[in-house]
Amino acid sequence: MSATAAPPDLVTVTIDGIEVRVPKNMLLVDVAKSIHREIPVYCYHEKLGPAGLCRICLVEIEGMPKLQIACNTPVADGMKVHTTNAKVDEGRRAILEFFLLNHPLDCPICDKGGECDLQDYATAYGQGASRMVEPKMPKPKAVDLGPTIVLDEERCIVCQRCVRFDDVITREKSLRTDDRGAHTIIATASGKPYVSDFTGNVTELCPVGALTSKTYRFRSRPWDNHRTTTTCTQCAVGCQMHVDERGNTILRTMSVVEDDAISDTWLCDRGRYNIGFVNDERRLTSPLLKQDGTWMQIAWDDAIALWADALKKAGASGAGVLGGGRLLNEEAYLAAKLFGALGIENVDHRVGRQHVVHHAGYASHVDLENADTIVTFGRPPSQLAPVLDLRIRKAVSRRNARLISVGDHWANSFVPETHLASADELAAALGANPGRIAVIWDGVGADPTALPGGHTAAFSYVLPEEPNGRGADAVGLRPGPGGLATRAMLEAARDGKLGVLTILGADPVLRFPDRALVEDALRKTPFVVVTDLFLTETAEFANLILPVCSAFEKSGTTTDLAGDVLPVVGAVRPPDGVLADGDALVMLAQKLDIALPAPDALEADVRKLIEAPPPAADAAPQQTGAGAASGDGGLRVIAESAIFTGGGTLAFDPRIADLRVAPRARLHPETAAALHVADGDSVTVTAPNGAALRELAAVLDPRVPVGAVALVDGLPEAPLNALGDTPSVRVEKALVTA
Amino acid sequence: FPTGRKWSFLPLNGRPRYMVCNCDEAEPGTFKDHLLLEETPHQIIEGILIGAYAIGCDHAYIYIRGEFKRGYQIMSDAVAQARAAGFIGENVCGSGKKLEFTIHRGAGAYICGEETGLLNSLEGKRGEPRLKPPFPAVKGLYGEPTVVNNVETLAYLPYIMRNGVEWFAKAGPERSPGFKVVSISGHVVKPGNYEVAMGTTIRQLIYDIAGGLRPGRKFMGVQPGGGSSACLFEEHLDVPYDFDSVTKAGSMLGSGAMVVFDDTTNFVKATHTLIRFYAHESCGQCTPCREGGHWIQRSLERLLDGRGLDSDIDVIKSAAHQLTGLNLCALGDSIEPFLASVITRYEDQFRAYVKRGNPENVAV
Repeated sequence: MSATAAPPDLVTVTIDGIEVRVPKNMLLVDVAKSIHREIPVYCYHEKLGPAGLCRICLVEIEGMPKLQIACNTPVADGMKVHTTNAKVDEGRRAILEFFLLNHPLDCPICDKGGECDLQDYATAYGQGASRMVEPKMPKPKAVDLGPTIVLDEERCIVCQRCVRFDDVITREKSLRTDDRGAHTIIATASGKPYVSDFTGNVTELCPVGALTSKTYRFRSRPWDNHRTTTTCTQCAVGCQMHVDERGNTILRTMSVVEDDAISDTWLCDRGRYNIGFVNDERRLTSPLLKQDGTWMQIAWDDAIALWADALKKAGASGAGVLGGGRLLNEEAYLAAKLFGALGIENVDHRVGRQHVVHHAGYASHVDLENADTIVTFGRPPSQLAPVLDLRIRKAVSRRNARLISVGDHWANSFVPETHLASADELAAALGANPGRIAVIWDGVGADPTALPGGHTAAFSYVLPEEPNGRGADAVGLRPGPGGLATRAMLEAARDGKLGVLTILGADPVLRFPDRALVEDALRKTPFVVVTDLFLTETAEFANLILPVCSAFEKSGTTTDLAGDVLPVVGAVRPPDGVLADGDALVMLAQKLDIALPAPDALEADVRKLIEAPPPAADAAPQQTGAGAASGDGGLRVIAESAIFTGGGTLAFDPRIADLRVAPRARLHPETAAALHVADGDSVTVTAPNGAALRELAAVLDPRVPVGAVALVDGLPEAPLNALGDTPSVRVEKALVTA
Repeated sequence: FPTGRKWSFLPLNGRPRYMVCNCDEAEPGTFKDHLLLEETPHQIIEGILIGAYAIGCDHAYIYIRGEFKRGYQIMSDAVAQARAAGFIGENVCGSGKKLEFTIHRGAGAYICGEETGLLNSLEGKRGEPRLKPPFPAVKGLYGEPTVVNNVETLAYLPYIMRNGVEWFAKAGPERSPGFKVVSISGHVVKPGNYEVAMGTTIRQLIYDIAGGLRPGRKFMGVQPGGGSSACLFEEHLDVPYDFDSVTKAGSMLGSGAMVVFDDTTNFVKATHTLIRFYAHESCGQCTPCREGGHWIQRSLERLLDGRGLDSDIDVIKSAAHQLTGLNLCALGDSIEPFLASVITRYEDQFRAYVKRGNPENVAV
């Protein structure tokens, strides 16, 4: 609330004899909570609002003959409320008796047992035994609702929190209730699987054990789990997250209910479910040295010595450092200091398509909700920063904000959207009075954020491709004076000008727009050091691989897209033989006799740099545009991003393999018709360099510009960057062979 | 609820507003709207025109129960005729006012007769009552101020406008004036719809108007206001048929439909039929109605099946009582009244099932 707003009308209400003054029209259930008078709720949820379905939140209001539901009663002056007395308790007892009539009472095998609101309130208000003589109504116990969720219809109390989440929060409206009366069940509106990027939230909203995650079902009891609270590092949104661990295995992650500021208490499915990789047997647990084409396990000391020797031999100008956007702030800072001390100027954390990761100014996550017009440029937040996208949906659906997407990519936020093919139309679309404008950009191409028509952005966001891209940028993993940026560095390496290349937790072979360039560069460089958890596409090219910790196994801080420095807290021990990147860097510094800053100074420096980062590095685009507009009748390639692209940690998490994006080629129906391609056809995409992606499923979508093909970037099984830098491609229907 | 007052609740906020005619008549024993729809469609249209003019709306809807196929066709024809005659369209009767008219057919759910369930259904959503507040007058169809009126109410409007309020108010008692179409069914000689002045006694309605009971039969009870109303008995026969008197007698005028029971009635079966209806028609949103109705239905089925327990009658009574007053809409609260009234009055019929199993299968 701004300082100039008038104070709200206050009213006096009495709850259980306690007099409180609260804003008029505040809901009784919230008032009671604020003074710690418990009113049980099932269907009511702070973020979803009242629904009036479960009827458990009964209270007595003096002067009203019937019990009232606290969740939909706005307080009025002089109201006298009793949250507990014989009448109220009797009402709640009745409601609980109804709930439990057909409830299976399978608490001993229910995942929710121990953290179940039905158990808790039944203990507090229930009568202990049912008066129903009839056998309980049997219902399906394990309905496969979609790739992530299983529904136990017997346990469901039809509070419809899941339905309302999918309605008011994600706006996707794919859940509903089916059938009627006592047979009412939760189902998908289409009858097809429940597919969304936010499904896991419904398991947390479910007050009973009806909705469970496939990855957690029957795996643990809540009281056996140990909880750590950390920051999700799957993308740069910075969602706060609980990690529940047992026996050094991460069993599940949960959202943090207090985290209104960043996640708004939600998690996306990538952040929530991509945890299986931590214990995957393909984890590297020993430094590996490639000798005569085979990998040999070596000791850490030897590995560090080899690395140090290579750096010394190559000299400052013969060395390059790539990556760092997945490191913690502290690690990135140590890397910047260490390689800086060696005089290495060829340092760049940008390994993907993006060349800008931050703007002046730090708009907060909440600011986005308060924008009147939201303009997205480039790949949409729904894929690069999913939980941030929920704020867009909120702004549009609740405050009638306008959503405008510009260029090749639609925002696809499940809310009304104005799409402009080019920024030239933006001035007209904004009109004279667009209100507060928020600009969201994916950091690719020319900076579009200088708005036409004299408008300025009130809130500006750049979506980093890597979880800590912003931190890495701020603490200095960028080209020094005269140093080479990523593309130039790769070209130098290809030309045999680099002696050693260090790649810190990055996968340029899969991510950099020109795969052939990266592969050539890595082949030509005499010594390539890669830190990673797995033998990735890039690590395959290394001479030395250092096995490092995941973000669940180390502690420090990370920087979100709004510039917040957030804690990362280790929840499990790393496998034996695995060290954090930071540890490896410290060992290297010792080996090279380089003094690194003491922890206190380091922390202060990191915060200072992130609060006021030095001016953005020279923003040479990652893509050259060399292959574009060749005029040969080929199709322009649009590089899409998807949250489940399947590279990195997702490729090593078989439990959620179903969530990976299948290779596809989206085409405008007109483009497809000209090529005689129908929806679902298998197509081959061929680039001028001869590289081809085969067996892509054609998806006809009028949102793709005519004359273009949209391909998902970063798919290991169909790597878009193999086609070369911004090529003009041919798309053909695959020939069917007998 | 007084129609004039209902209309007065519409906020003056410059938003579009809607008038909806509720012709989703589905209350057990009620068939007056059905008749009005088929016999007097123009009278209903005229009523809607008056209402729309009064509240200043330019789009009216009539929601017709899906089963009323003939009525729907008649109303469609009538609307076309009214449109051709200039009563509906861009310039109603040359007044410069616009009135669009949409006829919508329901798909067969009792709950769509509840005004907010109806609005959801009209919007293409599940027929589920909405949480109130906000009431339709503030936030109704498509979120805009909306008035929902019953067919009968709207059908009376032309006559009240023509003959004056005095004419209408003169009929019946002062606090509950006017005329009323009463659907009388059950064990009477001449079931049908009868238009009477309010305040006519129940005895007059049954014996003078509907021809009385069949010869040799004894009066056992009457539901004065459709399936949701409590049964009244012999001692209530002289109660005047108006809102206040019937309420005072322990029941309600409800949908204005009387179902008469004579001594051939098996009240256990009658109760079961009614409860099964409500359990089946429960939308399933709120707990007491969803779970409670089904529980009572199953208990009654066990009783009818000859497997009743001594405790059943008390448990059924208590279950019906404890679900009342806790529901989101009125459907759940419709379960108890008839059940409670007859289970108390004719407990012996229920006890007989407990004692002897199914009395119809067992020699007495």
